[in-house]
Amino acid sequence: MNDRIVFEEVSKFYKEILGVNRVNLSIPPGITSLVGPNGSGKTTLMNLMTGLVKPSRGRIQVLGINTDDAENLFKFVGYSTQFDAFPRGLTGFQFIYSYLCLSGISAQEAERTAWEAIQRVNLVDAASRKIGAYSKGMRQRIRLAQALAHNPKVLVLDEPLNGLDPLARAEMIALFRASAAQGSYVIISSHILHEVDVISDQVILLSNGYVVAEGQIQTVRNEIQEHPTQILIRCDRPRELAAKLFASEYMIEASIHNDGRGVLLKTKDADRFYLALNQLALDGIQIESIAPADDDVLSVYEYLIGNEEVVR
Amino acid sequence: MAVYRRSYRPYSGSLTAEWSRFLVLFRYSRRNLFRSKFLTGFFVLCFFWPIICLIMIYLAHSASFLAKLGLPAELITIDNNFFLHMLTVQGVLAFLMTAFAGPGLVSPDLANGALPLYFCRPFSRAEYILGKSSVLGILLSQITWIPGIILFIIQCSFAGASWAWNNLWIASSIILGSLIWIAILSMLAMALSAWVKWRVVAGALLLAVMFFGAGFAQAINAVLRTDVGHFFNLLYLMAVIGQSLFKGESELAFSAGEAWIAILLYCAICLWLLMRKVRAYEVVK
Repeated sequence: MNDRIVFEEVSKFYKEILGVNRVNLSIPPGITSLVGPNGSGKTTLMNLMTGLVKPSRGRIQVLGINTDDAENLFKFVGYSTQFDAFPRGLTGFQFIYSYLCLSGISAQEAERTAWEAIQRVNLVDAASRKIGAYSKGMRQRIRLAQALAHNPKVLVLDEPLNGLDPLARAEMIALFRASAAQGSYVIISSHILHEVDVISDQVILLSNGYVVAEGQIQTVRNEIQEHPTQILIRCDRPRELAAKLFASEYMIEASIHNDGRGVLLKTKDADRFYLALNQLALDGIQIESIAPADDDVLSVYEYLIGNEEVVR
Repeated sequence: MAVYRRSYRPYSGSLTAEWSRFLVLFRYSRRNLFRSKFLTGFFVLCFFWPIICLIMIYLAHSASFLAKLGLPAELITIDNNFFLHMLTVQGVLAFLMTAFAGPGLVSPDLANGALPLYFCRPFSRAEYILGKSSVLGILLSQITWIPGIILFIIQCSFAGASWAWNNLWIASSIILGSLIWIAILSMLAMALSAWVKWRVVAGALLLAVMFFGAGFAQAINAVLRTDVGHFFNLLYLMAVIGQSLFKGESELAFSAGEAWIAILLYCAICLWLLMRKVRAYEVVK
């Protein structure tokens, strides 16, 4: 079995409207975040991955299985939709149980597995209540339980952190990490960029139906040549350091940090700059820390996609 | 890149047969339907007429009892017309049952955006439609051809083997007539439910299609001085099919073959409309 989720030249058009265009991806295990503004094609990409929509062009394989082979595909894939969608009148337990039965799991096994999933999302007490009476966070969790109940290797989660309070978010992120640590593929779409940054092993940035960038966030950042790398240096004498730094040929811009205890600088060649910095450190300036200031998702998002929408 | 322990183990237990999974939908939908006390009451009421028919069959074979009441033995004749009338009454009840139960089958899933949840399972659109329509199919069977066949068997047991052999075709007419009625009702109710989404409006539309269809047909016939308008009247088309199946003697505007084609065409249109709405994806930009 192939161990990747592979998109080959995939395009999807809804009549004349572009969903995604010429997507080539090879997604490894771990947590992968799809990031992009509304209408950028995140949900389309997820629907393509789960076989819910067929590509207009190209080929998709999930762990070597074609997405139109539903019988085999959904043994390995669990999907949680973005919208607050539930069949009417079901309790939390019935919701999980009935979908497990639809997956072909026998009644007895489905009952056991449903309770396990409910335990994983910490909803045992509420399982016998109707979903209609759940809070938004509880709905999000029961949806997640539905996606992971049959223990899929690929978890596709559309905006799974929306509506969750900080504690519930932390629990969910721990769940994603636990799944990823087992070698699963956790595909997440999210607008909460600082959380994406923290939890993702790799990101896929989308804009207007095109993949703008993909890979580990630092690698993506390094490839963006037109935006110099920003580095924050904490030290005891920031003004003196800034003055010395201007002598370096790799330096483009330097400014004293707002709190007056560091220098925020921009360089066009970070590696060479770090070597030059070693020399400065030897000149007696006490350097406390050196950290890249813009190798996070938020910065990369702003560089590549811009302010197409407010980033929360 | 994180170092993965790769301890993932998929579900390795046995799976149920693919063909049987639509029954999950049937079980849940049926249970939801019978939560309504009104529908449960109406369902029970639907057996009132078959019980009357059963009594009539008993009386038809109890000449001495009729004589005691001072009634002639030929008062009740159990023949093709008896079963046609029995099925006509049950057909009307089936229609009312569909108007109550049908619109609630698909519309809540569409209104709640629940379809992607069904289809991100090894479960196809065809199985979804089969699962939902089986609710109506089985429910309406219980009040149409199943009691019809039971009455036919009881009549056979009273009338003897030769009557049974000579009238065996009535049994097939009961089944065939009921099934085509169930098919058109189910398809129509589900298609309307899928397109309208509001349950009450979909129920009202089902009544409108039947009764305004009849009015529309009459208007066309009157204005154009033709019989073609009857093709818009599902009740008339079913009457033509019923007359042909039960060898009725009424004069009707066109042949049974034409009525069959028209009804099957309506079923196909409803199925097409339904398939257009029952789709997995939730977002079209």
